[in-house]
Amino acid sequence: MTATAAVRTETRLLDRRIGRLLVMGWRFHLKTLSQSSFFILVSVLQPVIFASIAFFMFRVGGREGTLLYAALGAGLMGIWSSVLFGSGGAIQWQRWEGTLELLVTAPAPFILVLLPLSLATSSIGIYSLTATLFWGVVFFGIPLQLAHPWLFALAVPTTVISLGLLGLVLASSFVLYRHANALSNLLEYPIWLITGLLVPVSFLPGWVEPLSWLLAPTWGAKSIQAAALGGDPRFPILMCALLGVVYLLIGSRLLRLFERLARGRATLSLT
Amino acid sequence: MRTPVIEAVDLRRTYRTTTGAFRRRPLDVEAVKGVSFEVGEGELFGLLGPNGAGKTTTIKMLITLLLPTSGTARVLGYDVVTDAARVRERIGYVFGGERGLYERLPALDNLRYFAELYGVRPEIQKQRIGYVLDLVGLTGRERERVEGYSRGMRQRLHVARGLLHDPPVVFLDEPTIGVDPVGARELRATIAALTEQGKTVLLTTHYMFEADSLCDRIGVIANGSIIAMGTPRDLKGVVADRTIVEVEAFGVSDAAMASLRAIPGVASVSVEERDQAQLLCVQSHKGVELTQTILGKLDGVKVGRVAVREPTLEDAYVALVTETP
Amino acid sequence: MNSLRVFFVGGVISYRALFNWLRPEIYIPTMLGSPIFQIVFFAKLGDYAGVENDAFFVVGNALQVSAMAGIYGMTMTIANERYFGTLSALLATPAPRLALFLGRAVPLIANGLLISVFGFAVGTLLLDFVLPATGLPGLGVILLVTAFACTSFGLLLGSIGLRARDVFFISNLVYFLMLLLCGVNIRPEALPGWMQSISYALPLTRGIEAARGVVIGGRPFADVAPLVWGELGVGLAYAVGAYVLFRFLEVEARRRGTLETY
Repeated sequence: MTATAAVRTETRLLDRRIGRLLVMGWRFHLKTLSQSSFFILVSVLQPVIFASIAFFMFRVGGREGTLLYAALGAGLMGIWSSVLFGSGGAIQWQRWEGTLELLVTAPAPFILVLLPLSLATSSIGIYSLTATLFWGVVFFGIPLQLAHPWLFALAVPTTVISLGLLGLVLASSFVLYRHANALSNLLEYPIWLITGLLVPVSFLPGWVEPLSWLLAPTWGAKSIQAAALGGDPRFPILMCALLGVVYLLIGSRLLRLFERLARGRATLSLT
Repeated sequence: MRTPVIEAVDLRRTYRTTTGAFRRRPLDVEAVKGVSFEVGEGELFGLLGPNGAGKTTTIKMLITLLLPTSGTARVLGYDVVTDAARVRERIGYVFGGERGLYERLPALDNLRYFAELYGVRPEIQKQRIGYVLDLVGLTGRERERVEGYSRGMRQRLHVARGLLHDPPVVFLDEPTIGVDPVGARELRATIAALTEQGKTVLLTTHYMFEADSLCDRIGVIANGSIIAMGTPRDLKGVVADRTIVEVEAFGVSDAAMASLRAIPGVASVSVEERDQAQLLCVQSHKGVELTQTILGKLDGVKVGRVAVREPTLEDAYVALVTETP
Repeated sequence: MNSLRVFFVGGVISYRALFNWLRPEIYIPTMLGSPIFQIVFFAKLGDYAGVENDAFFVVGNALQVSAMAGIYGMTMTIANERYFGTLSALLATPAPRLALFLGRAVPLIANGLLISVFGFAVGTLLLDFVLPATGLPGLGVILLVTAFACTSFGLLLGSIGLRARDVFFISNLVYFLMLLLCGVNIRPEALPGWMQSISYALPLTRGIEAARGVVIGGRPFADVAPLVWGELGVGLAYAVGAYVLFRFLEVEARRRGTLETY
């Protein structure tokens, strides 16, 4: 076999390997997460209850027409909660289960081990969107009419993947810190607020808006809202995807740094 | 001289912890103080030592989980610090314990996942999984959730996982701890068979008979340093010229122990707590008949069985650990 | 006399032992950080929905947050004791049960009060909210009674936790349900009838209504006193219920030997 042909085979094998790792890892972690009562709480019950709160508040305030908006908002909030507790929390959970060591010392690059995990946590968020929409339609009579159904079908996975990549950044930050849980609790409400998932950013002080543009959930929310309620989702979808790539780069750098530090400081095993 | 498969050169590892309740002061604890050894191809090497001796820390450095504070280590010629990825591809490691598995999923799913992580080629994954399950005796139970597994079964699953990618070097950290005697015996047989396949094995344990029966060579580690190294026979040689007097006693005081140690010809005295009584082991040099003297010093203490016997590896170990400064 | 000692000493020591995360780096984000954002979130949501005013949400959420401190605290206390295996050791002592567990409640109630005060401060600084000086003594009483009622509720949940496996799940679920049902963000009158009955069966609902009356409506304490009595009654009912349930489970566990199994 010539040198170029050999390299080409090698690359093809490598691609196949990466592909398999991602898909297989994603399915594996999706299965583990779906079995967890905590994640059922965070991805289904919590968003449904928040959706109900929003529905009642909007009804009292006379905003009938925007119940679909509220359902989508609560669903998006659910995706964020899953990513926050799933990616950050999953690292801690792997630590407790004693599997973190195994994942780090596997020959596969750690990023290819962690990425499917974060993608799984954001995919769980699909349960949130489905649950809030279902709840709204059945119990609050929301008419399910999407303005741009095909773009909606594009916006949702783009948002989910991009949030999964943000989860990677979170996960790589939390790998070292034992008390990352305290931080997780703190990041739920603020991100919901800043990224305008339920309350438009215009209701917050002016300096918040530029900040929100750096966060994928902002663009994901805009794209999903535009696709469902009317507007142009294409630019937000693009921004969402772009930010995802940025997160991937940041995440992989961080991961390499933190892994090295963890081996030095020995905080990889038990609490 | 063939290159060693595992090579540790003056490995050291310091931990930084804190002391004090309010103003936390940093404290440096040196867990491993300059450990060096070599393991050749196909050898079964044992690291024997009490709890807290530094066995687990040493093995963690070799499997690239921890960075040494100083010193170097190589596995199959690859440096564990700079070439970690290549080391990881070629080693399997198994640690004792309940944890380290995805509880809510079946064993089969766990193995499939790790097979993928360890880079087992897709076309042979199924066959490898079947092979390792058979090797550890879990065939037929792989579809059950791990959370229902007994301690022994989990341990066997760990071993299966460690062998999935057919690594040439295998590290086992206390592999039979907490396993029932029958299961443990089967596990030991499996471990012994590994070297027959040409694999190199490094094992840590604090069970003497395990080290004695399995290992080609043993390194005795205590307090972070290797205090003796050699074949089981070599180590027993340390106490080869000794006689052991075993006395079953009820309530031996420190003063009595001190007076026993003071008897001329006595090399060491150790006591092991059994359920109701204590087992006193007095090591003395051969040729000196000390049984009566010993019993005389124990006057006033209730005494049960008395036996005189040849030294075992355990006695060598006790001698090394207690007599080395 | 022994009861009092058990009440105070047992309470303080256990609080420190179990809540060893009293270190600032954990206490501040968990106990103080989250509430800030929760209050701001719902105030802004209310703003967007065109419902009520900032003060409505500040009072509601500040009280809810302190309620949750009591509920989480109590359920964690019991769950932790069981987790660390100290529960059976505790039950083996001759100490009177009520004093024992109410002793653990005192630091939690104090903590809850601290958090509500903090919540009001946040409202004053970040939102359109003012605490009238005249209402303060009345508010103090309302806060105390509400904190007590919620801690009792937590005691009941914790006792259920002796049987159920996942207390964490229950207390988190309760957190969300209280946000919806206790008038924190939506007046109970705006909810369907069957939900309203649940609202008034729970602690916190009357406390929030009373607090709003005093702080926002400027009503004298005498006006809202019936609500406060109601809240106290609810608290006592839960305390008694918890006590009864706890004794029942304890006796049964002793007979069946299940206290350690989990």
